[in-house]
Amino acid sequence: MADKNLKILVVDDFSTMRRIVRNLLKELGYTNVDEAEDGVVAMQRLKGNNFQFVITDWNMPNMTGIELLRAVRADPSLKHLPVLMITAEAKKENIIVAAQSGASGYIVKPFTAGTLEEKLGKVFDKYGM
Amino acid sequence: MSDFAGMEELLQDFLMEAGELLSQVDNKLMDLEKRPGDKEMLNDIFRGFHTIKGGAGFLNADNLVALCHRTENLFAKLRNAELTLSPELMDIIMAATGSVREMFGDLSQAVQPKAASPALIDRLEAALHGQLSAAPSLAPPSAHAPTPTPTKAVLPEPVAVSVEPAAADDINWDALHAVLTGVPMPQPVAAPLAPVVEAARPSVHPGYGAPVDSPAPSPAHVADPIQELPTPSRGAPSAPAQNLQKETTIRIDTVRLDQVLNLSGEIGLTKNRIANLKSQIVHGKSDQETLKALDIAVSQLDLLVSDLQNAVMKTRMQPIGRLFQKYPRLARDLARQLGKDVELVLSGEETELDKTMIEDLNDPLVHLVRNAVDHGIEGAEERQAAHKSSKAIVTLSASQMGDHIYIEISDDGRGMRPDVLRRKAVEKGVIDAETANGLDDRQSLHLVFLPGFSTKDEISSVSGRGVGMDVVKTNINKLNGKIDVISVPGQGSTFTISLPLTLAILPVLVVRLNNQSFAVPLSMVREIIPLKLKEVQRVSGRATMVVRDEVLPIRSLARMIGWESQHSPAFGVLMHAAETTFILAVDGFVGRDDVVIKPLSDIKPRGIAGATLSGDGSIVLVLDMEELLSNVGADTHMSLFTQG
Repeated sequence: MADKNLKILVVDDFSTMRRIVRNLLKELGYTNVDEAEDGVVAMQRLKGNNFQFVITDWNMPNMTGIELLRAVRADPSLKHLPVLMITAEAKKENIIVAAQSGASGYIVKPFTAGTLEEKLGKVFDKYGM
Repeated sequence: MSDFAGMEELLQDFLMEAGELLSQVDNKLMDLEKRPGDKEMLNDIFRGFHTIKGGAGFLNADNLVALCHRTENLFAKLRNAELTLSPELMDIIMAATGSVREMFGDLSQAVQPKAASPALIDRLEAALHGQLSAAPSLAPPSAHAPTPTPTKAVLPEPVAVSVEPAAADDINWDALHAVLTGVPMPQPVAAPLAPVVEAARPSVHPGYGAPVDSPAPSPAHVADPIQELPTPSRGAPSAPAQNLQKETTIRIDTVRLDQVLNLSGEIGLTKNRIANLKSQIVHGKSDQETLKALDIAVSQLDLLVSDLQNAVMKTRMQPIGRLFQKYPRLARDLARQLGKDVELVLSGEETELDKTMIEDLNDPLVHLVRNAVDHGIEGAEERQAAHKSSKAIVTLSASQMGDHIYIEISDDGRGMRPDVLRRKAVEKGVIDAETANGLDDRQSLHLVFLPGFSTKDEISSVSGRGVGMDVVKTNINKLNGKIDVISVPGQGSTFTISLPLTLAILPVLVVRLNNQSFAVPLSMVREIIPLKLKEVQRVSGRATMVVRDEVLPIRSLARMIGWESQHSPAFGVLMHAAETTFILAVDGFVGRDDVVIKPLSDIKPRGIAGATLSGDGSIVLVLDMEELLSNVGADTHMSLFTQG
């Protein structure tokens, strides 16, 4: 079981969606959650703030989720960070791009707390968290 | 019962944010008509629908998801230049956004939106597949009946929303990554090996795709989720929808909220200080030092409270752009309906206004915008004959000057002719001929605000919807605002609304008359001067006084409100109100104060806006100068100084 105090960054440009994800995480017991409204802000937050997990939307202005993912993987201090991608699309091309870019997992909107828990669990297993 | 039990807050958040998003989309669509190839813009619009879809999914609003999904796909194709924007396509897109807005309307009533009209879905599908015919007009989206079967035929590709996840979702991520890149995922600890594809399991939101019961839905089964998603609630025809009022939440900049918190903390500290000093004084310690400390503490509290009032007021301030952004679409649709080419230009959207006022301004502004497009702007031929450009411009602007907000709606249309207005008013029996002759041009323009006045002989379906300019004026007046109009025949009309910054707190000057305190808005007060009998002159029978070479009429407050004055007024308040400068004669004055006006219910004495309490607990009546000034001339010399 992962540490419920896990420091998570939720990235989405739609504040309602950030709140939804936050509430679902809270339901699962994760309360150490911070938010960012796009990839640019997320990168700023991630640097030096000891985040342990990133949940990011795909489609955002300024810097998309996939660009964020690539930036994280390219940053020596961040590249081991688990990144869970959220998207409305479950198209094969998207999944392939996400996988190629090094996503730790993929969750399709809309989802329940149960689905999220399961997805998190898989990533935790993988990272030995 | 609500379809959204337990999700009310989420729903409210969604509606507010998505509503704004949709308005932005609407405006971008307007821009898109001018720059159809703008990739950035296409992408923004795409993202707008995409985001709305994502949020709607969590609300289980499947019909909304389906509609947004199709529209989004359309923009994906436009973005990738697989489709090009044509006027027909634009109409479909506009109809789709209209339908999305209607669905928001349903959601705000806490009911699941009905499916978009089959005609719209058909057209969207046809457009998606590049088979757009200029054919059928779009039936208004409503259709209580479920989508009829023919839709299925035009759906070669199942809507992906809830379908693919089940298949694609449970891939072994590492394996895929390794296969694709040849590099194992960066991971601190070796992962337990899992089969590449786990048993397919529909990861479907409960209630989402309700009929799907089997573990692995076959593609055939999920051919059209839209049709297979019966909303159970639809059977019971609109059980009195639990109305989620118009907007009960507000978004506040956290900086502003922190300021409120800081100030209330400081006030708490100062209160402790005062309580401490009080107990010292109660115990007989009333030396100079203690009293001075009390004085300091009280004035500090005074400062802090007024800061807090300001800070709280600021939390209620919202940019008026939130309201404005709905109108370009409104103007466009109306103009198209009337066969006119009108562009609504916005400016000053960042101007901030009290939230309650913003809500109450919507109806008047909608009316004024419609009025400008319908009545103000001429038809194409008339414009051509007048050598005007075929595209008409209506501007809607907001600005702040001092403690007032000004909103202007102006058009470059045909303008209004005072003589025509006078004639019409008499014809319609709104005023009699004698009154009409006595009106100057300015006053004549104000005839449009009288009940029963409408210059078009026939009430059009557009502006004449039972509410007229008189309702606009009444609504504006309710907000303590004023509306004015100027017009140049042949060049256009401008309506100007002026509103106080807030309804909450009003700085006033408190004056005395017959031992009663009255408050006049400080914004109208210029100075206070002593009134001396020998300085009062009679000019054509009216009491006047010369102040710095300017002859100003004197009006006694007693007479204005119909009181007997007990003695001659001792002071004059030099005021500027309703475009006249005059001296208000009063017995004396108390000082300035910030008051919160409580409206007087049931009774409405003429010229009294409301009441408030003074520091000593007595009642102060707040004067409505506008109302007092209407139809009251200056006092005669006699009436002012004979009594007492």
